[in-house]
Amino acid sequence: MREITYSEALREAIRLAMLKDKNVIMIGEEIGQGYAGVFGVSKGLYDEFGPKRIIDTPIAENTIMGAAIGTSMLGMKPIVEVMFADFISVCFDGVLNQAAKVRFMTNEQYSLNLVVRLPGGEGSGTGPHHSQCLESLFMTIPGLKIANPSNAYDAKGLLTTAISANDPVLFFEHKRLYKTKGNVPEEEYAIPFGKGKVLREGADVTLVALSYMVTVAEQAAEELYQKFGIDTEVIDPRTLVPLDTDIIAASVKKTSRLAVLEETCLRGGIGSEIGSIICEGYMDYLDCPIKKIASRNVPIPMPASLKDEVIPGAGRVVKEIREMF
Amino acid sequence: MKYDENLYLTFLEKMYLIRRFENKVYELAERGLVFGSTHLEVGEEATAVGTLLNINKDDYLIATHRGHGQELLKGTSVRSMMAEMIGKEPGICGGRVGSMHITDASVNNLGAQGIIGASFPISVGVGLGLNLLDIKDKILISFFGDGATNQGNFYESLNMADVWKVPVFFVCVNNLYGMGTHYCKTCNVEIYKKASFFNIKSDAEDGNDVVAVYDKSKELIDYVRSTRSPALLELKTYRTIGHSAFDRHPYRTKEEIEQWKRLDPIKQIEDKILKGGASQDKIDSVKKHVDKIIEDAAGFALEASYPVYDSLTEQ
Repeated sequence: MREITYSEALREAIRLAMLKDKNVIMIGEEIGQGYAGVFGVSKGLYDEFGPKRIIDTPIAENTIMGAAIGTSMLGMKPIVEVMFADFISVCFDGVLNQAAKVRFMTNEQYSLNLVVRLPGGEGSGTGPHHSQCLESLFMTIPGLKIANPSNAYDAKGLLTTAISANDPVLFFEHKRLYKTKGNVPEEEYAIPFGKGKVLREGADVTLVALSYMVTVAEQAAEELYQKFGIDTEVIDPRTLVPLDTDIIAASVKKTSRLAVLEETCLRGGIGSEIGSIICEGYMDYLDCPIKKIASRNVPIPMPASLKDEVIPGAGRVVKEIREMF
Repeated sequence: MKYDENLYLTFLEKMYLIRRFENKVYELAERGLVFGSTHLEVGEEATAVGTLLNINKDDYLIATHRGHGQELLKGTSVRSMMAEMIGKEPGICGGRVGSMHITDASVNNLGAQGIIGASFPISVGVGLGLNLLDIKDKILISFFGDGATNQGNFYESLNMADVWKVPVFFVCVNNLYGMGTHYCKTCNVEIYKKASFFNIKSDAEDGNDVVAVYDKSKELIDYVRSTRSPALLELKTYRTIGHSAFDRHPYRTKEEIEQWKRLDPIKQIEDKILKGGASQDKIDSVKKHVDKIIEDAAGFALEASYPVYDSLTEQ
C-alpha cells in the first residue's frame, strides 16, 4: 500500500467527504488563499472547491465557532480549523455552552455535524500559547466527542467518521505527527469511535497512550524489552470520548499492571480518568499502583532544556515503568 | 400606516396573548411551579408583535432569554410553551430546559441562549448558511437586549455580518436595564449607531408603539430580503415588571415605572382601535378569546407529567 503523511491523510478525508456531500465545508483562519492551513492540511482544496466551500475568516474565533454552529443548524457539515488548539479558549463558550448542548437543550430537535480540528501538542519550541494538549479539559463536558489520531491511517478514518458523527467532535491532531508517514488506502473508509487498538502485544504491563504519545510509548516499549526484558502491551484508545474501556480492562486482566501516558497535564488528566475506571472495576487484577505519566503541572516552556523535562519522553517512560516492578 | 381594523385587532390580540401568558407564568412562579428563573416581558409586547407579524413561518428565529413573546409569535403552540415553563414532559423541549431556551424546529425557531451575547456569532453563522445554501426566500430575525451590546461578540459579529453580507435582521429590545443596571451607566453610544459604524443599515423606533414598530420593521425586513444584507433595529421600551419573576426591582423608582405604564403598548392600541371606530365589545371579545387560550394552556400544563430520567441519553 502507498505511504502518505498524516497531513495528507487528513486532507484526503476532507476532500473525499467534500466530493461526496456538497454540505461539507471548511471554516478557519488562513485555510484557503493564504497559507492553506499553517500545517498545510487544506493545501489545494481552495483551488478545487472555491471560496464557498473553503471559507477563510478573520482572526475571530468566536465567529468561526458561530459560523460552524449556525451552518450546522441549517444542515451543513462544517469542519473548523482552529489554527492552534490553544486558541480554542477564545471560542470556549461556543464549544461548552452552545455546540455541546444543542442536542440536549432542543430535546433532539437539532443535532450538529461539526468537527473542530485542533492542532495541539509541543512542536518546535512554540512556547506556552502554541503547544498545549488540552483534551482533559473537554472530557468533562457531556455532548462532545473527542478523537485523537496517532497515525496517518487513523487520521483519515477517524476524520471521515467525525464529519458525519451527528455530534460535535473535537478532533485533536498533533504537530509532531503531520509529517509522519503511514500506509493509507486511497478509498474512503471510516474508523468507528470508541474502538481502541492493541499496537504491541505484551504480557507484563499495559501502557495506554494517545496521539503523539503513542510514538513515545512504542519507543519506550522497545527499550524496556531490549534492555530490561519487560514485555509492554501498548494500547491506543484512538478516541477519548467515547472511550474503549473494554480493551484496556482486557489487557489489565492479562498484565496486572497499568500505566497511562499523556502529553496533557498530570493533574486531572486522562490518566486520572482511566486510572479511576480501572480502580473501580478491576482493582483485584492489579499487582501494583497505577502509574500516571504526563506533562508536569507547569506551562509548556520554550527551550529544549526545559520542555524536555516537562513533557514525557521515552527515557522517562522507561524509568517510571521500571519502578512498577 | 392607515388605520386597518383587522390588523389593529391582530396587534391587540397578539400583544394581549403575550401579556396574559406572562402574567400566568408569574402566577405559576409565585406558586413555586417555575423552577429557577423566568424572564418576563410585560410592557415590551409591541417589540415582538410589530416585528414578527412581518416575518414568514419558514423564516428563522433566534430569540432571547426574555423571549416568550418572540417564541409565541413565531408559532409555537401556547400549550407546549406553557408546559415547558413548568418543566413538564409535553413542553416544546420535553420540559428539560424551561423558560429561557424555547426551541421549535417546526417553525424554524433555532432557540435562545442563556449566555448574553452568545447568539450573535450563531446568527452570523445561520446567515452564512443561508448564503452558502443559496436559500433566497428566507431570512433570520435575531433578537437581543441592550445589555448584550456591550459584549465583545456583538462587535465581532456585526463586522462579519457586514463582511459576509448575511440576510439577518437584528432586533434590539432596549428596555433600558441590563438586570438592575441602566444602559447609560454602561455605554455612551446609542445602540443603533454601533451598527452604522459597521456600514449596517440601522434605525431606532418607539418600541411601545406597535404600529410604528410594524412599519419600521417592514421597511428594514424588505431591505434585508431584497438586498440579502443585514439590518438592525433598536426598539426603545421598558419592562414594567422585574428582571425575573422574583425581582422586586429596587434599582428604579415607582415614578419611573408609573410613567412607562402610561405608555403601555396595549393601552395605546386599544385607544387607536376605539378612535378608529370599532366598539369596546370587539376589543372585549378578542381578549375573552385569548383568556380562554391561556386558561386552557395552563390547565394542560398543570395536568401533564414531569419528564423521567429515562428520556435522557448519557453523552
